[in-house]
Amino acid sequence: MSANDVLAVSFSFLTNVDFWINVGVLATTYGVFALGIQLNVGTTGIFNFGQAGFMAAGSYAMGIMVVRWDVPFWVALLGGIAVAAVAGILVGLPSLRLRADYFAISTLAFSEIVRYVADNWDGLTGGNLGLFGYTDSWNAISVRIDGWLEHLGIAPHFLLPLLVVNLALFLVLAAFVALLVRSPWGRVLNAIREDEDAARALGKNTFLYKLQSLSLSAALAALAGYMLAINISILSPANFDPVLTAYGYVIVILGGLGSYFGVVLGSFFLIFLLESTRYLELPLSDARVAALRFMIVGLVLMALVVFRPQGIFGKREELILRSRG
Amino acid sequence: MSKRFAGVLAVDRASFTVAQGSITALIGPNGAGKSTLFNVVTGFERGDGGDVYLDGRSIYGRAPHSLARRGMVRTFQLTKALAVMSVLDNMLLAAPSPGERLGLAAVRPAWRGVERRARARALELLSVFGLAEKADDYAGTLSGGQRKLLELARAEMLEPRLMLLDEPLAGVNRTLGRALLDHIQRLRQDRRVTIVLIEHDIDVVMRHSDAVVVMGDGHVITTGPPDEVRRDPRVIEAYLGKEQASELENDG
Amino acid sequence: MLRRRPGLVLVALLVATGLVLGLTQGWREIGQVTINGIVAGNYFALGAVGLTLIFGVLRLVNFAHGEFLTFGAYALLVGNALGLPLVLSVVCGVVATAVMGVGLEVVLWRPVRRRRVGELQLLLLALGLAFFMRNAIAFAAGPEDRATGANVTAGLHLGELRVGRTELIVTIVGLVTIALVALTLRYSSLGRQTRALADSIQLAETTGIDTDRIVLITWAASAGLAGLAGILYALPAGVANPGIGFSLILSIFAAVVVGGIGNAYGALAGGILIGLVQEWATLVIDPAMKVAVGFAVLIVVLLIRPAGLFGRGRSVDR
Repeated sequence: MSANDVLAVSFSFLTNVDFWINVGVLATTYGVFALGIQLNVGTTGIFNFGQAGFMAAGSYAMGIMVVRWDVPFWVALLGGIAVAAVAGILVGLPSLRLRADYFAISTLAFSEIVRYVADNWDGLTGGNLGLFGYTDSWNAISVRIDGWLEHLGIAPHFLLPLLVVNLALFLVLAAFVALLVRSPWGRVLNAIREDEDAARALGKNTFLYKLQSLSLSAALAALAGYMLAINISILSPANFDPVLTAYGYVIVILGGLGSYFGVVLGSFFLIFLLESTRYLELPLSDARVAALRFMIVGLVLMALVVFRPQGIFGKREELILRSRG
Repeated sequence: MSKRFAGVLAVDRASFTVAQGSITALIGPNGAGKSTLFNVVTGFERGDGGDVYLDGRSIYGRAPHSLARRGMVRTFQLTKALAVMSVLDNMLLAAPSPGERLGLAAVRPAWRGVERRARARALELLSVFGLAEKADDYAGTLSGGQRKLLELARAEMLEPRLMLLDEPLAGVNRTLGRALLDHIQRLRQDRRVTIVLIEHDIDVVMRHSDAVVVMGDGHVITTGPPDEVRRDPRVIEAYLGKEQASELENDG
Repeated sequence: MLRRRPGLVLVALLVATGLVLGLTQGWREIGQVTINGIVAGNYFALGAVGLTLIFGVLRLVNFAHGEFLTFGAYALLVGNALGLPLVLSVVCGVVATAVMGVGLEVVLWRPVRRRRVGELQLLLLALGLAFFMRNAIAFAAGPEDRATGANVTAGLHLGELRVGRTELIVTIVGLVTIALVALTLRYSSLGRQTRALADSIQLAETTGIDTDRIVLITWAASAGLAGLAGILYALPAGVANPGIGFSLILSIFAAVVVGGIGNAYGALAGGILIGLVQEWATLVIDPAMKVAVGFAVLIVVLLIRPAGLFGRGRSVDR
């Protein structure tokens, strides 16, 4: 790259298997995260801005159980999900009766409190030095999966086993949630989004449904948290920055509000975009490049909201019908 | 079944009784507090005192959804047809189903049968109201009058014992309106449903209701059979006086 | 009692808490943290009043408001870099932020409102804007701390208590501004018109108020006050970084909610309250957690009186 080059882009990364594995692992992680947001926002109509906090709660609960309390890994996995789900209920109980923007503020505040506690309660969470040492059980599994893949003639790659697990989990969860939403239970959620009073007048205890939606979303966030935790092997508060929630919303809007298939596509698209920008060789420091990427995320979110609010797979007619009332 | 309401609402004081199997019309000039009364009775708003009895038991302050489950269903003045859902889905929403519980929702066999039966019933009901061909269309594509019908049909899916209809004929053309009224009469005759409706069309009120409750300025002016009420001088005064005043307000 | 005279109950609670803390932790300690609390409450109040004014007039929760504070601080840095004396830099910083706020209204908010986008869309727009602004500043100026050029070491001693010289100046400026804002809102025709808009925009239009103009002025005020808040925070702190707005925004939200969203006087009172509560809390808990105390207050208020202490608007769906 000569001194006159402001920007050098090399496309060789596209043929790099590790690049795609990385995209896959991150896309599935944020995809599961976004499934929860879709359930809350696209289906139920509650504006959960605290998904990163539930992710942190679940992940840290799991990590603390394994590392500090010697809980067996599989039990800790269940424990973390339970903690996140309960957190969803506790957060929802006081705040779901509030108007939409107050609910958003409350969930954001919750998310920040979790991060604060994680940052400052060093003894329990490791503070910003991080919590690590929970990956032993996973490592054993990873080796085993590597073995299976070799049998199939696939050479081992870093994180490939994680990709396999993540992908399976993501697709199963997406299908599961999509089916759930097509049930009578999901029908009530849709009605709540459209007109909560109508649902109440028809005998539905809407508060309970919203609570269930939030709690389920929190559980999904915990699972996404596990995917992240295993990926990076160390939990630190910086990993649960509210920008994650912004990623989630971009994915949901990209794919279209209400579409779970859209979440799958949206997550791969966004992560591919974000990860590709790592390969732009700009004469800038790493920190500035990171800032640039986040700027783009913010800009993309704004542009989507203004120019294509129904996303790629949303139905424009639904938007129009909704605004006409 | 009787519904009795006695209370001090935010602005008014009202008290009356509704007899089972009757069609009672709640009339009064705009701003008399009729919709507010509906809201308090059905739990959508809090009153500041008083009580509501359904079949002798107090239901005051109970949540709307539990009242709907007990057989008291209401419709809204500004229809709440769920525009982005299909007409059929609007109907199915009303039908209780084990699939509405999160635990069973994932287990399709647990609710498939109930869903099929509900579908059949919904389509039947929709055809009574002439909406069967629209079953798969978005409810938002229905005309105003059709939405009123949908709301009524949907309320009926719940098999209510008491229906509180807020201006069910507003915006509905005459033919549809007549069909609607016939249907209401049949509900009362065949299924002993008690009906309370807020209505402005005096003609309709005279011909179709058994009892009339007149409200004005937030309180009940009088109650009784239609003929008596129409001749009551207090009613005439309240109506004429208020109607003129509210006409002026609406113009300006 | 809480319902009818919240102000009284609050003052009583505050005084009681203050006395208890003074008795258990020492009078010098409570005195010192009270000073710190007023310094902090100052810029919380200025940030909160701007946020609440925009909500009152446009029903928009401006999630990007925190970044206005950051913008103000960085505009100050630009002024410094250009060699302006500090006072002039402050003025330029405030003006620049106000201009930016008006610019955003013209370029972003007004066209979007005309398109009649939904509530979620507006919230996400504000959120996206917040991310964009914060990272644009980090991109342009770098993520590291930058010195703001004020004297952070000189201080005054009042008995056993200490207040930094810059802190004192900043607090005085802040309090004076707060007083000016309160007076303007109450007694000027502009203030009356703004309050009319906050009550009902349709009604205000029918009475002949030029709503577009008032909205622009409100944005200028909201952004300008936010910029000033950011500057008043950064000067005594000695440094600014792209994250300062975000680190303050939740306390500002707490102040807004506590005071009753849409209520400017409430926001001012709420800001001082949150500042005091957070600083007082450092006597009993780890100072790093003081912001969490602000959030805790937010949540408590949402639990028991969501309309806020002075609010009358609807905050609960039912």
